[in-house]
Amino acid sequence: MDDRELIGRVLAGDPRAERELYDAHVDRVFRLSCRIAGDPHRAQDYTQETFIRGFRRLADFRGESALSTWLCAIAVSVTLNGLRSQRRARDREVGLDEAPALGTRTVEADPDLKVRMARAIDGLPEGYRTVFVMHDVEGYTHEEIATALGVQPGTSKAQLFRARAKLRTALADFARD
Amino acid sequence: MDDYLHDAHDDAPGELPDEPLEPSLLAAAREYHRPPELPREAIWRAIQAERRAARATRPVPRRWIPWAAAAAALLAVGVGIGRLSLRTDPGTPVANWGPSAPAPRVSAAAYRLTTLEHLGQSEAFLTLFRSSVRTGGQERLASATARQLLATNRLLLDSPAATDRKTRVLLEDLELVLAEIAQLATDARPDDRALIREGMDRDGVLSRLRTEVPAGMTPTRGDL
Repeated sequence: MDDRELIGRVLAGDPRAERELYDAHVDRVFRLSCRIAGDPHRAQDYTQETFIRGFRRLADFRGESALSTWLCAIAVSVTLNGLRSQRRARDREVGLDEAPALGTRTVEADPDLKVRMARAIDGLPEGYRTVFVMHDVEGYTHEEIATALGVQPGTSKAQLFRARAKLRTALADFARD
Repeated sequence: MDDYLHDAHDDAPGELPDEPLEPSLLAAAREYHRPPELPREAIWRAIQAERRAARATRPVPRRWIPWAAAAAALLAVGVGIGRLSLRTDPGTPVANWGPSAPAPRVSAAAYRLTTLEHLGQSEAFLTLFRSSVRTGGQERLASATARQLLATNRLLLDSPAATDRKTRVLLEDLELVLAEIAQLATDARPDDRALIREGMDRDGVLSRLRTEVPAGMTPTRGDL
């Protein structure tokens, strides 16, 4: 069944169609949210919010992109906004004495590539990180990323290029192996 | 979308070498925030609850209160007729809702249906109230709706619907929560709302309502 037919049934109030739409897309939305948020419980909340907003705005969906890409755009927006709110709340709670410690990464050597890679990805600017996670980790195309983030495909390519360059630099000792 | 991605140079990237990460780095990157198993049903239930609540409360001024008032009126009439019929027939023993009394059994089914509808409405209302605890600002509406539900709840407690012990206990616990919300002042402090929410969580009222109300019993899409 194509997107248009499924959307028509959902808008007509068919509860089975709602469930079909959910089943078809929830895995991708949850995975993406989880990769960006890094916290499965928050990703669960963000996924829930993504579908609530999606169902609410479905009548406005014009079909200019695939439904999956449209939902993905909502998921990225919900997740990043959620993370920003969380960061603001955390910053308010951190006392002045503790604040410098948060900005200082431990420099101890860690032999585990996965741990080093995770730290390096965390250290990327938000835009680089989002594009990198979507493209290299989750396998989205530049066109999908561009649509989801509201940018040109060229911007997505440039962000990915810079993200990879930063990661190679951060993990130079592993890259040489 | 946010403009955090925009960079003066990004829109004219030229021909960037599309060189993938080395396999070992790529493998490590794919372990980044690896998602656990998808909690598919839990997320779906939460979505449904939120959407039910939103649908149920959106038309409050025009449809919620009339429904609650109509339900209350219907129950009042039903209870009244029942009591009158008992009074006019001195030979009738105390109401017998046992299996050998066919007519009351029909009434019991009607009361059961009304009870489930009331519990569905209450579930939708409490779900929305619970989610709005942090933001506040809806006290007057919440209080008015709670009062309507409270009236129905008390009628049900005084009806054959409450002969089932489990239903009675649930209605009694629900009454406490609704009474607290009904008393919320427009200038209620966040603490007041949080206390009500804590009480709901402690007694598990919302989860018990969700267990009690079968799927589809909560009026949606203009059924209010």
